[in-house]
Amino acid sequence: MAAPMVSIQDLVVDASTSRGTAHLLRGVSLDIGRGRILGVVGESGSGKSTLASAMLRLLPPNISRLSGQIRLDGLDLVALAPAEMEAIRGRRVAMIFQDPMTALNPLFTVGLQLIDVLRRREPGLRRADELKQAEAMLATVGIPDPRLRLAAYPHQLSGGMRQRVMIAMALMAQPDLLLADEPTTALDATVEAQIVELFDELRQRFSGSIVFISHHLGLVAELCDDLCVMYGGVIVESGPVTEVLARPRHPYTRALLDCEIDDDASGRLASIPGDVPDPLTVLTGCVFAPRCPHAAPRCLQGQPPLMELEPGRRAACIRADEVLP
Amino acid sequence: MFANETARYLASRLVTTVLIVFGAMLMLFALTTLVPGDPARTLLGPQATPELAQRFIAAMGLDQPVHIRLWRFFSALATGDLGVDVVSGRPVWTMIRDVLPYTLILTFASLAVAVAAGVPLGIYAATHRGSWMDSGLAFISVAFIAMPSFVVAIFLLLIFAIWLDWLPVLGASRSGEFWDEFKRMILPTAAIAIGWAGYFARLMRSSMLEVMGEPYIRTARAYGIAERLVTYKYALKNACIPAIALLGFGIGRVLGNAVFIEVVFARPGIGRLIYEGISTRNYPVVQGAVLVMVVLVVLVNLAVDLSYSAIDPRIRRDGAAR
Ligand SMILES: Nc1ncnc2c1ncn2[C@@H]1O[C@H](COP(=O)(O)OP(=O)(O)O)[C@@H](O)[C@H]1O
Ligand SMILES: [Mg+2]
Repeated sequence: MAAPMVSIQDLVVDASTSRGTAHLLRGVSLDIGRGRILGVVGESGSGKSTLASAMLRLLPPNISRLSGQIRLDGLDLVALAPAEMEAIRGRRVAMIFQDPMTALNPLFTVGLQLIDVLRRREPGLRRADELKQAEAMLATVGIPDPRLRLAAYPHQLSGGMRQRVMIAMALMAQPDLLLADEPTTALDATVEAQIVELFDELRQRFSGSIVFISHHLGLVAELCDDLCVMYGGVIVESGPVTEVLARPRHPYTRALLDCEIDDDASGRLASIPGDVPDPLTVLTGCVFAPRCPHAAPRCLQGQPPLMELEPGRRAACIRADEVLP
Repeated sequence: MFANETARYLASRLVTTVLIVFGAMLMLFALTTLVPGDPARTLLGPQATPELAQRFIAAMGLDQPVHIRLWRFFSALATGDLGVDVVSGRPVWTMIRDVLPYTLILTFASLAVAVAAGVPLGIYAATHRGSWMDSGLAFISVAFIAMPSFVVAIFLLLIFAIWLDWLPVLGASRSGEFWDEFKRMILPTAAIAIGWAGYFARLMRSSMLEVMGEPYIRTARAYGIAERLVTYKYALKNACIPAIALLGFGIGRVLGNAVFIEVVFARPGIGRLIYEGISTRNYPVVQGAVLVMVVLVVLVNLAVDLSYSAIDPRIRRDGAAR
């Protein structure tokens, strides 16, 4: 197998809060294949956004620890100096945010914001060429009357259109890695379906890898090649999406699948009893043990590592072979 | 589509402006009818004979019924006639015209200095949050804001004009020579500007910090836009909106409070004109000067509102502030 585009090793992110140290990521290891779409799922608060922000090194200011490795084509992003990281952003890694209503600057036109991103990649273009490229990109993401829209301000566009603009911005950067953090969560169902369709189309033209974060398993199943399930700052299971969904090996994935039907809009999976772990607690046992129907005494001895159970399939459960063969 | 929206917005703003000025005129008219004290007695002194007082009242038109006086008042104003000074007989408009430039220049100069100093300091404090410069600026700003400008004025006078004897003490230039007047402007301008620079610095700091935490700034950073561009292009424009509001408010306040500085520095000005008019119950002067002041403040606010809509496209559409 070719070397993965992204290889994350033992990524730990802590934040200092007034109540103590919060453990946002508790040692995450993950590979993202070239040109593949990786779906990341998990309840709200499981660390999905933190993982994406860490890959951009755009973490909140109260972060007290960032350790491990994030290798992008061999280059360790964690070790980069801030100026070197700035050069990566918007060129090799780009991000689409959850809320298109606030992600664009209200005082500048769509065209100007797109062109500023374009200039990162191709400085010194003639104005007319810049406009032409921006217009073409808006057309690519399915915005009607792209030339007119270049002069529009964000508030003049609907939520779905703004998210298309964000996608255009990301494509403008032609990144090797595109991070999409719940890009459809803030949209209503019809628009969500259109955006998912757009992603589906784009994967044909887009050569980089995509990380698609969602709390919606159905959507991930439709769009992604690989799946990684997060819980409490830990990856509990990963593997090819069809295999994982057909035959989950971690009790949390199983529970997610069971309650997908009545998954409410807030992203909390209502039918798993109990709460997601508080990031302030220090893990002594398996992160899911308190809510796990299969928890045994030995599950309380420590967080199991993400183990390869069969080729391409990993789960962090010491009882996987017993309870979910 | 914008032209239409902007025109409608302008029209609605103009209507409000006219209404405010009209309201102010009504209140000024009420001033002569409602305020206790007999203007004839006050002006002519207690020894005035009843006949003299009668003549005076007739000359002022004070014996007419209210609606006639109201009509006269408005029709005179409508033709730009502000009446005459009851003591000297000089037309009020001429008196205002003579002193208005002093107040205007003082107001705009001091706010220009305040903005020129306060805005960059605020940006600096925001981009160097927690540094000793930030804390020092916070302390100094708050101290300057807390001090009334006439107190600052007296200290400035003591230090620079009396102890150090660097600058002329009082008054406006009699020769009208530019350099002389410039030197005489320094202390009054500083007295007003210091407090307002503090305001602008505090406001810019907090509004910059707020804007820098907005998701769209995060977007700009996520796309590797250089930090300088993020700060001075993407954030600054957003952060300026409250500063413009403060500027509009500040111009009104400085105009209104000009009297303190004008009295302390013995400068001519519209504030002093009103002050002296009130102390001698010289109603036409007070009415005329206050009306000019109101019109000025309203126009400034109109200009501020228009500049918002130039900066913030969302206002152009809604026709109202956020
Ligand atoms: N800067 C921070 N300081 C403290 N806690 C944080 C911070 N950012 C996120 N968290 C907490 O970390 C957990 C994971 O957050 P996040 O990565 O946003 O999860 P997700 O995107 O999966 O909903 C949540 O419990 C959240 O409250
Ligand atoms: Mg999130």
